[in-house]
Amino acid sequence: MSRVGVFVCHCGENIARTVDVERVARAAEQLPGVAFATDYKYMCSDPGQGLLKRAIAEQRLSHVVVAACSPRMHERTFRKAVEQAGLNPFLCEMANIREHCSWVHEDREEATTKAIEIVGMLVERVKKNRVLPTITVPVTKKALVIGGGIAGIQAALDIADAGHQVVLVEREPSIGGHMAQLSETFPTLDCSQCIMTPKMVDVANHPNITLHTYSEIEQVDGYIGNFQVTIRKKARSVDEQKCTGCGVCLTKCPQNKIPNSFDCNLGTRSAIYVPFPQAVPNIPVIDREHCTRFKTGKCGVCQKVCGPGAVDFEQQDRLLVEPVGAIVVATGFNLYSIDEKPKGSEIKGYGEFGHGRIPDVIDGMTFERLASASGPTGGKILRPSDGKEPRQVVFIQCVGSRAREKGISYCSKVCCMYTAKHTMLFKHKVHDGQAYVFFMDARTPGKSYDEFWRRSIEEEEAVYIRGMVSRLYQKGDKVVVMGSDIAVGVQVEIEADLVVLATAIMPRQGADSLAQKLGISYDKYHFYSEAHAKLKPVECATAGIYLAGACQGPKDIPDTVSQASAAAAKVMTLFAKEQLEREPVVARVSEKNCVGCFSCRKVCPYGAVEEKEIWDRNGKLIKTVAYVNPGVCAGCGTCQATCPSKSVELDGYTDEQIVAMIEAL
Amino acid sequence: MTTEIIYSAVGEAIRTEAERVLADGTVAAVVGYTMARRKGSAQPVVLTKPEEANQLIFSAACVNNLAVYLTKAKKELPREGRIGIVVKSCDLKALVGLLGESQLKRDSLYIIGVPCVGVLGSTLQPSVELNAETVADKCRECDDRMPQGADFVPTVALPASPALEKKYAVEIARLEAMTPAERWSYWQEQFSKCIKCYACRQVCPFCFCEQCLCDRNKPQMVEGTPRPAGNLAWHLVRAMHLAGRCAGCAECERVCPMDIPLNLLNRKMSRELKELFHSEAGFEVREKGPLAEYNEQDDQSFIK
Repeated sequence: MSRVGVFVCHCGENIARTVDVERVARAAEQLPGVAFATDYKYMCSDPGQGLLKRAIAEQRLSHVVVAACSPRMHERTFRKAVEQAGLNPFLCEMANIREHCSWVHEDREEATTKAIEIVGMLVERVKKNRVLPTITVPVTKKALVIGGGIAGIQAALDIADAGHQVVLVEREPSIGGHMAQLSETFPTLDCSQCIMTPKMVDVANHPNITLHTYSEIEQVDGYIGNFQVTIRKKARSVDEQKCTGCGVCLTKCPQNKIPNSFDCNLGTRSAIYVPFPQAVPNIPVIDREHCTRFKTGKCGVCQKVCGPGAVDFEQQDRLLVEPVGAIVVATGFNLYSIDEKPKGSEIKGYGEFGHGRIPDVIDGMTFERLASASGPTGGKILRPSDGKEPRQVVFIQCVGSRAREKGISYCSKVCCMYTAKHTMLFKHKVHDGQAYVFFMDARTPGKSYDEFWRRSIEEEEAVYIRGMVSRLYQKGDKVVVMGSDIAVGVQVEIEADLVVLATAIMPRQGADSLAQKLGISYDKYHFYSEAHAKLKPVECATAGIYLAGACQGPKDIPDTVSQASAAAAKVMTLFAKEQLEREPVVARVSEKNCVGCFSCRKVCPYGAVEEKEIWDRNGKLIKTVAYVNPGVCAGCGTCQATCPSKSVELDGYTDEQIVAMIEAL
Repeated sequence: MTTEIIYSAVGEAIRTEAERVLADGTVAAVVGYTMARRKGSAQPVVLTKPEEANQLIFSAACVNNLAVYLTKAKKELPREGRIGIVVKSCDLKALVGLLGESQLKRDSLYIIGVPCVGVLGSTLQPSVELNAETVADKCRECDDRMPQGADFVPTVALPASPALEKKYAVEIARLEAMTPAERWSYWQEQFSKCIKCYACRQVCPFCFCEQCLCDRNKPQMVEGTPRPAGNLAWHLVRAMHLAGRCAGCAECERVCPMDIPLNLLNRKMSRELKELFHSEAGFEVREKGPLAEYNEQDDQSFIK
């Protein structure tokens, strides 16, 4: 006979406001098999858990139902408490009377009735729970980091410094990401390259880091502790082992007028190229789209001039399979390209700003390259149309960001600060120049951030105009900016030499397809979703996968580095154990009833279903049935829903339990 | 008369072939049709000796889908060795489905396909002539009368298929024109006739579970007694479990003692699968069925 204990939580006011918790506890007491029921203000607190443990001992409880929040929130907490009290943790279930009840209802009477019914269902279910032993699986102590920007670099270095192997995969020919493109950084104005490149070199030299640049993730199989990742190493057309990085090929390549995307297409590069001089690895790539050899079969100059004979036109993409235990996703961001409306997107574009049509309307990253000492102009601010030094520069903030009517409602977080930085860089280089900034609000939360912003106004004389711009148009060699100053309430028109748009930060293109390969979730903008907005900001809901940097949401460098180190710490925590304990909530096959149609194998997203042969005593094969590998099964229950003969069941969610729950209603 | 000439030539050819494969040890047994007691009627038979091969026949009364002898009724067969089986092209589609569902292995089968111009809709009068009136409804819509991919098919020339009224198509169109409420009451009325004899289940090659969901009692998924709720549940389970698998041998409808238009429901489901997933059962051995496959190009317009 079961002796179920029911513990009803007030959750402060969260539940008690709408649900009469005391009445729920009294009603639970009356249920068959319930030996004890009580309510408490915060069941998850130390005294609350103490109450639960005492009741298990004093009342000799056999099963526990905690009527509180979602099992996603505290199931683990209470199962641990139950375990400490000497019961098998899987004899404890959560009745969700918060998210499923108090938060979504207003009527106290009806909400209380519903809460009583939810508790009743869970009591019926828990009575049929089985004692489940914990499953342990080995952990591969090697991490995969996807993305070689500052986030990926930091995470890789931290994990590698802790003594674990790291595989760092970068899509571009060099690591460095966006931070390598920046000129100076706020709020200290130190040079981005100067703080970035030593870290890039550390990655290249680290004995524990295997670097795959110009590579992409092809496929991800497996689960926490035991992922199998297939990496596509794109054909570089240059043998990485032989190349010495002398750079002769770059200087001899006749195709040398290709816009350099690293310089936001302001400068040019050759068809065989390294994206920038400080690239890591310093090994060129042949851009097959522009290379004469690949287009016409003639040329081959680079191969002739290459001393070590590293140029290999026959090179093919290679697929590598790496077993890893944890994955850090750090794929970063793209700037919203506002000149045209992206296809199939809800985003509307900014045709009225003439970006892409008016040459002197540029985005923030292009300005960074203009201001960078290693940029196409050698650090001189020269406008793209005629190469003249601009006198009047207008900066427009929140282009794309915070514009619900245009499709993006979030704040890109870094634009206020980098625009303030741009005004200063401009003033430092063009002493008689004037910077104007159109802004909605100045958002400067961060250490020394507001001081930095004030400095741009008070010391560097940037003129901040609160208001938005309606239209930009070319007039002679000027760009006319039509805007409003809402502080004064007048329309303003500025004839600018250069206009810089602080365009919104968006996730990398292809973020959604990578998420589908990894099995992680993303929001409507394709930013990756963390497991909990406050308490699990670097974990994905998929175990063993962690997030770092702007792929999760717009972030500045300090936040990105912090999150990357946090993700690394999570990986190290995982790697600190020899064996990983897994939830034993897995599917089991009834070999008696299974007819081996393997519908389950066809739908299993984890590849957990195997074949098992049943032999009789004379060595004759009776039948082949399905077998669920408990180390691989993630307990999603898809097989259970699919099996036509109902021969596979998920522990804790058996048909018998589900029917018992329905019947309790 | 042509039908009889064709079928007697077919019968002659399969007798010779069955004798050969039994004699040279290719197969351990042949499942086919033989004459039954009433004049003109036919019944399934399992032959294990070459000298029995002359019992084989093929006629318009050979209505059964023998595929069930390879799954549910396999106790009738020797446990080892390859099995020869006589199939019409509609029956062959069931074999193809069963191969995809790991129930059969192609190399343990010897498929004797029969060219077919149709079978009788009812075997109550087995000696009646096969014509536009007496032909089975499924044969009216059949457009591949030569089994494809069989190990042996007699070389018999078939006349062009006559244009017959497609009764299922007409009936589906009639039902689709109804309001949901009318359609609901139509099916409720049909299912209310069910006496839960489960003949449809027993004859279906795809109902190969060792213990049917409907026979479970812990928990009981489908009410066992022939009451409206349980009847509805059973017929919904049946229709859903056959979606994407049933290729329309129509045995369920033939054996139903209460004349419930079971294959009509199957044909409707099959049409849905074809329209939504471009999938038709029975043409190729598939690793995954249409409902177990996902690709990024799938129509997702239903996600709101």
